[in-house]
Amino acid sequence: MNTRKVTALLAGAALSALASLAPASAQTTECIAPSAPGGGWDFTCRTIARILSDLDLIDGNMQVTNMPGGVGAVTYAMVDGERPEDENLIVATSTVGVTQIAQGRYPAPLDAMRYIAMLGADVGLIAVNADSEIDDLAELTEIMANDPGSIVTAGSSGAGGWDHIRLLLVAREAGLEDLSALRWVQFDAGTDAVTQMMGNQVDVVSTDIGEIAGFVESGDIRVLAVLSDEPVPAFPDIPTAVSQGVDVTGYNWRGVYTGGDVSDEAYQAWVDRLETLYQSEEWQEAAEESGLLPIWRGGDEFTQYVQDQEEAMAEISREIGIIE
Amino acid sequence: METLSALAGGFAVALTPLNLTLLLLGCFAGTLIGALPGLGPVNGVAILIPLTFAFGFDATSSLILLSAVYFGCMYGGRISSILLNIPGDEPAIMTTLDGFPMAQQGRAADALAISGVASFVGATVSVIGLTLFAPLLARAAIYFGPADYFALYVLAFATIGGIAGVDPRKTLLSAALGLMIACIGIDPITGIPRFTAGNYHIYDGVDPIVALVGLFAISEILVLLEKRGKERAATIRVQSWLPDFRAIWSTRGAMTRGSLVGFVAGVLPGAGASLGAVMSYAMEKQVSGGGGTFGTGDPRGVAAPEAGNNAASGGALIPMLSLGVPGSGTTAVMLAMLVSLNVQPGPLLFAQQPELVWGLVASLYLANIALLVLNLPLIGLFTRLMMVPTWALMPIVAAVSFVGVFSISNSIFDLELMIMFGALGYVLRKLGVSLVPLVLGLLLGGDMERNLRRAMSISDGDWGILLSSWISVVLYTFTALFLALSVWLAIRDQRRAKLFPENRTSK
Amino acid sequence: MTTRLLGAVIFVIAALFVSGATSYDAPFGDVLGPAVFPIIVGIPAMILSASLVVWPGGEVAWPRPERLARQGASLAVLLGYAWLLRPLGFPLATFLLLALLGIILDGPAWKSAAIAALIAPGLWALFDKGLGLPLDVLGTWF
Repeated sequence: MNTRKVTALLAGAALSALASLAPASAQTTECIAPSAPGGGWDFTCRTIARILSDLDLIDGNMQVTNMPGGVGAVTYAMVDGERPEDENLIVATSTVGVTQIAQGRYPAPLDAMRYIAMLGADVGLIAVNADSEIDDLAELTEIMANDPGSIVTAGSSGAGGWDHIRLLLVAREAGLEDLSALRWVQFDAGTDAVTQMMGNQVDVVSTDIGEIAGFVESGDIRVLAVLSDEPVPAFPDIPTAVSQGVDVTGYNWRGVYTGGDVSDEAYQAWVDRLETLYQSEEWQEAAEESGLLPIWRGGDEFTQYVQDQEEAMAEISREIGIIE
Repeated sequence: METLSALAGGFAVALTPLNLTLLLLGCFAGTLIGALPGLGPVNGVAILIPLTFAFGFDATSSLILLSAVYFGCMYGGRISSILLNIPGDEPAIMTTLDGFPMAQQGRAADALAISGVASFVGATVSVIGLTLFAPLLARAAIYFGPADYFALYVLAFATIGGIAGVDPRKTLLSAALGLMIACIGIDPITGIPRFTAGNYHIYDGVDPIVALVGLFAISEILVLLEKRGKERAATIRVQSWLPDFRAIWSTRGAMTRGSLVGFVAGVLPGAGASLGAVMSYAMEKQVSGGGGTFGTGDPRGVAAPEAGNNAASGGALIPMLSLGVPGSGTTAVMLAMLVSLNVQPGPLLFAQQPELVWGLVASLYLANIALLVLNLPLIGLFTRLMMVPTWALMPIVAAVSFVGVFSISNSIFDLELMIMFGALGYVLRKLGVSLVPLVLGLLLGGDMERNLRRAMSISDGDWGILLSSWISVVLYTFTALFLALSVWLAIRDQRRAKLFPENRTSK
Repeated sequence: MTTRLLGAVIFVIAALFVSGATSYDAPFGDVLGPAVFPIIVGIPAMILSASLVVWPGGEVAWPRPERLARQGASLAVLLGYAWLLRPLGFPLATFLLLALLGIILDGPAWKSAAIAALIAPGLWALFDKGLGLPLDVLGTWF
């Protein structure tokens, strides 16, 4: 028994030494990233958590929890079922999440939650390997229209997810009738898709620019087009799809929601807090470094935006044939 | 030479008082977290992330702290595997196979020392590999396509067949059950929930740590309950409190081979430390020709998987740093932390942030030495755990397992699931079904399925893609050779047993 | 006999698993679909468990009734812990778990309780204070 106590004491002492170094842990607020660590939602939560406590907008630290599963469906169901009135909880979401809702893949409808704000948007891109024979978007669209079976495309979403839809929109513009003729491979993240493309397993990648910016800078991959209205500030030389005559844009905004039964005051407090965060230099800097375009929509305006987007997504998904 | 001067610069970074302190604290906390069943490296790293933010450490110091915790966990996981037959975390499952029998024979000190030194060797080999070849290996790893990963998992499961148990049917059944459980949850490719019965608690599938703790810790309590307290007592006579250094030396071959195999498994993104441990163990069992003694307390069966899983965890840092693709759950958490500190791992990291990379590499060398120094003197202390009566020790183990799982997931459902796995684990053990293949099936099944489906999407439904690259052909050849060797060894053992029945090892 | 019985149980589960898998159809953009892999692993499980029914290979020695009762009791205590953790709060529930499991494992009652009284708050301190993983001191019943 003695040795057991000694071990426990030693362990306890070391850990409390570690812990006592930390400021009092008054973890009252929580941000759930509905994904595994890494990637966009995780970034949203961790950056918000860091800046909120840097700017003293919350007491103590904001706890970041990863709750992966079903592209956000697990978290959505949990908040809906167990914590609909938890005022201390925010959850990261994005265009990807709304796409899932529009396709009926979440266990609760859009209005089960209150949408707080979007803080920025990532931009979609279409890229090929640096030594690919496809030199520009025109060549790609020609292949898509005439010989779609000859290329393999990939991205970080499952079949019918946002990365896939954006690419299918390009293919439809290119004149491809049977969209299912284009092969699609799902990977866990944009970086996986890009490295597999560098290994010549796939030919074309459609994903967000932020996560894979390093591969663009290093010259390992060639970006045929960004799917924004204007070129992205971090990469001003990369042309937009629109400027090449393919009228497709595909943003992936980053924002947060909270439970559907949260009081108006608490909801408004979150909107105000995040607006202050959005205007801070820290956020603008963090957004720029990770390739996000800072865009603010909050409160009712954001809620309306999300509703409109859900309808638009449902329509696109029907047109393309992903849902009935 | 360039590498050496960069490394020297790294040591200058690592040896600042702050970083050195963090390193030592991280090693200690990591060993402890790894040793607690229910908490593994993923949790350990996740637990300490808020701390790094709270203090405003820069990216280098944060990464040094977290890597020390990561390596510490890999050292710590083996302790409860050996002493209690309960893996401290997923990669330590293989260590139960021979570590626990050794402890039962009174050789706990040897097993702890061998596994400690093996951990050191494995981790050091991987850090040397990281120092010399990181960018090069990352470039090689990208040529591993979905079909090749599938072939790798096939090889892994073929090797599992020869790992444990007397009746190969039961071993295979165990693996199949694990693979079936791995299918539960929302399918990431199509978004369809499978086998969830509408229960969103399992939409994300069965958490391997929940299954692991249930299968091993709770079933162990049930096994212990089969006998009365008095019947249980005094079965173990501890032979020595101190390790026998000749025993350690005798496993040097196993350590070296385990390190190399584990390192390769680690470099491949997605394979990770558990696979490293499995392959190391299975290969050692065949190469050493000691098939009969493996699983009954063979020191090589402790050395190989421990060297393997530590080498794999070091190897997993390579794709994480140089491609931004995490090779394991833990490196995924570290990647997330780096990203939130505005460091984007990827092809340019080594060029743009040499201080961070080489500071980390240097601190990994130091962490290894610190962990070895920390762990060897503790062996005497840990071994004395064997003296604690079961009725005092096992409730504490159960409570720690429960709290470990609950404090992370905050889910009562996970606790219920854990108890179900405990009952399942007990029944399977009574039937003579090894639990290790089940856990491996659960750990690797998801990736195995996804890579198969990716390959089939690439080929548009042509199964020929599975044999279309030379990498997969080589892997399937290994699989075939391995199976042939297993059969041949089994036949040979049977013949020997017939010729010299008195030599047969007790099983 | 029990091997046969359990083999049959596993066979039924695997069969249900396979038939459940066939209902998942391959939708848009996924060539192999979500059904094939579960079938690939489910069918060997059926074959292997069926072979255990036919050739059980070895007998299982189950514990005596008194020990079986203790095993049942330990599972009941664990389940009770899962259900009472939130209502009772962490230290109290853990105290009960430790004490009762100790007694079920043939430990002396008062010693088990004493150790439980020592360890339960210790674990709370370790996890809540040491590792920063919040655990409620008092449950919803207080």
